Amino acid sequence: MADQHELDDEIRLDALEFTYDELLAEDPYEEPLFASGVRCHGGYVDGAYVSPRGRVRRPAIANWQQRLRDAGEPLVYVPGRYLPPTYPNYAQAKFLLKEGVTEPITRSLTIISIIEGFGARIRDVPVPDLRKEILEDIAGTALAHLDGGLFEAHARDEAGHRDQGGHKQMWESARDIGLAKPHIPGDVLMRLMTGSSGRGRGERLFPDLSERLEMLITTMANVLVVETFAENTFTWAQQLLGDPEVSADAEAANHMVTCIASDEVPHVDYLTAAISELRARTLISEDGRKELRGKEVVDAIFSRQLRGMATRRPQENRERFREEIHQAIDNKARASMIARRFEDLDSGWTFPHGDDEELDILLETA
Amino acid sequence: MSFRRYFLGRIFERAYRGTRIGYTAVSVWLRYKFPRWWDAYRGRDPDERDMTQVHQRNADQIYATAVSLRGMMVKMCQVIGTRSDIFPPQYVKTLSQCHDALPPRDIDTIRSVIEEDFARPIAEIFTDIEPTPIAAASLAQVHGATLTDGRKVAVKVQYPDIEHIIRTDLTVSRRVAAIYSRFDRNPMDFLPLLDELQRHLRMELDFRREVESAERIRELFKNDPTVVIPSIYPEYSTRRVITMEYVRGVKVNDKKALETAGVQMQGYMTRLMRIFNRMILAYGFFHADPHPGNILVNPDADGRPVFTLLDFGLAKQLPEGFGLGIFELMFSMMTFNETAMLRAFDELGFETQTGEKETYLAIARRMISRSESGTFQGEFTEEMTDGMFDAIRENPVVTVPTDFVLVARAFALLSGIAHSLDQRANALDALGPG
Repeated sequence: MADQHELDDEIRLDALEFTYDELLAEDPYEEPLFASGVRCHGGYVDGAYVSPRGRVRRPAIANWQQRLRDAGEPLVYVPGRYLPPTYPNYAQAKFLLKEGVTEPITRSLTIISIIEGFGARIRDVPVPDLRKEILEDIAGTALAHLDGGLFEAHARDEAGHRDQGGHKQMWESARDIGLAKPHIPGDVLMRLMTGSSGRGRGERLFPDLSERLEMLITTMANVLVVETFAENTFTWAQQLLGDPEVSADAEAANHMVTCIASDEVPHVDYLTAAISELRARTLISEDGRKELRGKEVVDAIFSRQLRGMATRRPQENRERFREEIHQAIDNKARASMIARRFEDLDSGWTFPHGDDEELDILLETA
Repeated sequence: MSFRRYFLGRIFERAYRGTRIGYTAVSVWLRYKFPRWWDAYRGRDPDERDMTQVHQRNADQIYATAVSLRGMMVKMCQVIGTRSDIFPPQYVKTLSQCHDALPPRDIDTIRSVIEEDFARPIAEIFTDIEPTPIAAASLAQVHGATLTDGRKVAVKVQYPDIEHIIRTDLTVSRRVAAIYSRFDRNPMDFLPLLDELQRHLRMELDFRREVESAERIRELFKNDPTVVIPSIYPEYSTRRVITMEYVRGVKVNDKKALETAGVQMQGYMTRLMRIFNRMILAYGFFHADPHPGNILVNPDADGRPVFTLLDFGLAKQLPEGFGLGIFELMFSMMTFNETAMLRAFDELGFETQTGEKETYLAIARRMISRSESGTFQGEFTEEMTDGMFDAIRENPVVTVPTDFVLVARAFALLSGIAHSLDQRANALDALGPG
């Protein structure tokens, strides 16, 4: 692996090509991050938390995005108005904790940690030979580095690696610090296994493309939407676990969530770069006879993912979670009062319609 | 039968069974001891000797004795066949064959149990009962029958003398184990195994418990159209007889028959794994014996598989949080995360002699090395669990929780079904909603 001096030189030269090891290279931390006694990724430099595997990855992603801007290509993004708010909202969650209804919040934070951990499966996404399936050159792009370190770095960030914990363990730690090691309901995985998944329902939109390429685009669009939606969850968790009125250690719990939030930034950024690069290129059908505009393919797939994830799924989740919370409230002595007050604090949310034209792909102008 | 004849018959039977079990135990013991004495006499290190053939010969003899004596011996073989954490692979492979069909009892014996339990002639309950059983196992056999109201049913009937046989065998086995421990300087402690066996048998011999287990699992899947638990008719069930809805279907691993029946094979194993995930990881109460004979399949209107679960004799309640612990272990294996794996071992109740984490780490590294080679992708294959248990045997792990062994075995059985269909039993892939 190149040493610090060589790496810095490369990055200053606006390099666009990186090796696998470079994209996983760590900053020279002065102190590691520990979460509830578990050594985690990342660490501290000059007393400030620095996210893992960012020494090269951070500037690399910035360079790829800059290249797109220089070429006048827009970057895809999910606008804030489609981000479903976290349910229950901060005021409701705080009220539940004050009333001793801890289980739904514990359950929710545990599910978040599990889902974060599942992010590691991105390393299993098969990446086709993009040089054969994309007409233009992809040298010096995020696309060319997906299986060359970007997916692996993402996977390690989410679930940890070897002797280091990742976001899964960090979320568990934030939960345990903030809620003073709460009892974890034994059936916590049940929520993951109920309701509709939407999986298997999405028919292929572009059967001319190789299945691998379409699956790659779909997965990246899906993960980008999830990562963007998570921004509200971070704000919610920072408020709640950082509230000294209900948190056992507000400062430490808030810090843990802040670390996770900062680690997620490169995920959104590299996926934005890769999807936008695809959008700016021409895709070749599996039989090699057809050419499809990347814009047409990416916009259709991205819109479909956004429609499903901004509409039906959060609505179903909200309804299911509301039911669970009321079941937990029912076990309390002043159940009817708690239930009424809980509902009063609901800020509501108008779910966009699945056929809302505005849900089409949105682009940040270059 | 006169009391005297009955009494003498019992004594004779006890003596016969005791002699057979004792003879087998002594033969097995001597096959291990002679080579060691010989090696010691010749100045060789006995631990250097390859015992593979001895293990195999002993396993073959135990298997032959079990098939001949049936009853508890068969059950013991079944337990040994699942404990690859304790026994060498030759035992596990040979004795796990005891799951296969055993010769059935004649229909008159079965009729007598039914009449005894219901205290009335069989004709008042069933208009007919098929003389050839659908299946015969170590404790009971199942016959097709028709109720007097015309409903077609399956009747599971316990063998009449099975409780006595088991009591005899347990007593004899405990005595043999005690004698063995006096003669051997470094005896293997068989008592925990016998205790485990006794627990299993107590559960399995009371069919009312099996009925309760079936009802619990039916309640769990009441809104899931992909799972069928045959209805049980409590008014026609007793401690030794279960009368249930007769369900036809294709054996879960019969690829050709499934295709002929028009069952959609895409996502087939994921659907089946989701059912077991719900029971094991989320609900904490599960059907612990998913061998292919216990799962039937029919296609729904769209060709999607509908799974019928049979035989809840080995349904098992897991401790609170155990499912989450299993999930954490699988997840840490998938993500190569040693720290998380150590915590999962601890939470699941594994214990080492010294309490040091180094042992877990050795096991973890061995498992992780398999993961990196692509062996573990959320699937507890037989090879995977064997590998883990090899590592456990080679390291000073004192306690492997029985629940863990049962769960690992259930996942390994599902993996076996998957592989016979050229699919994979990936528990983590099947974790989402259906």
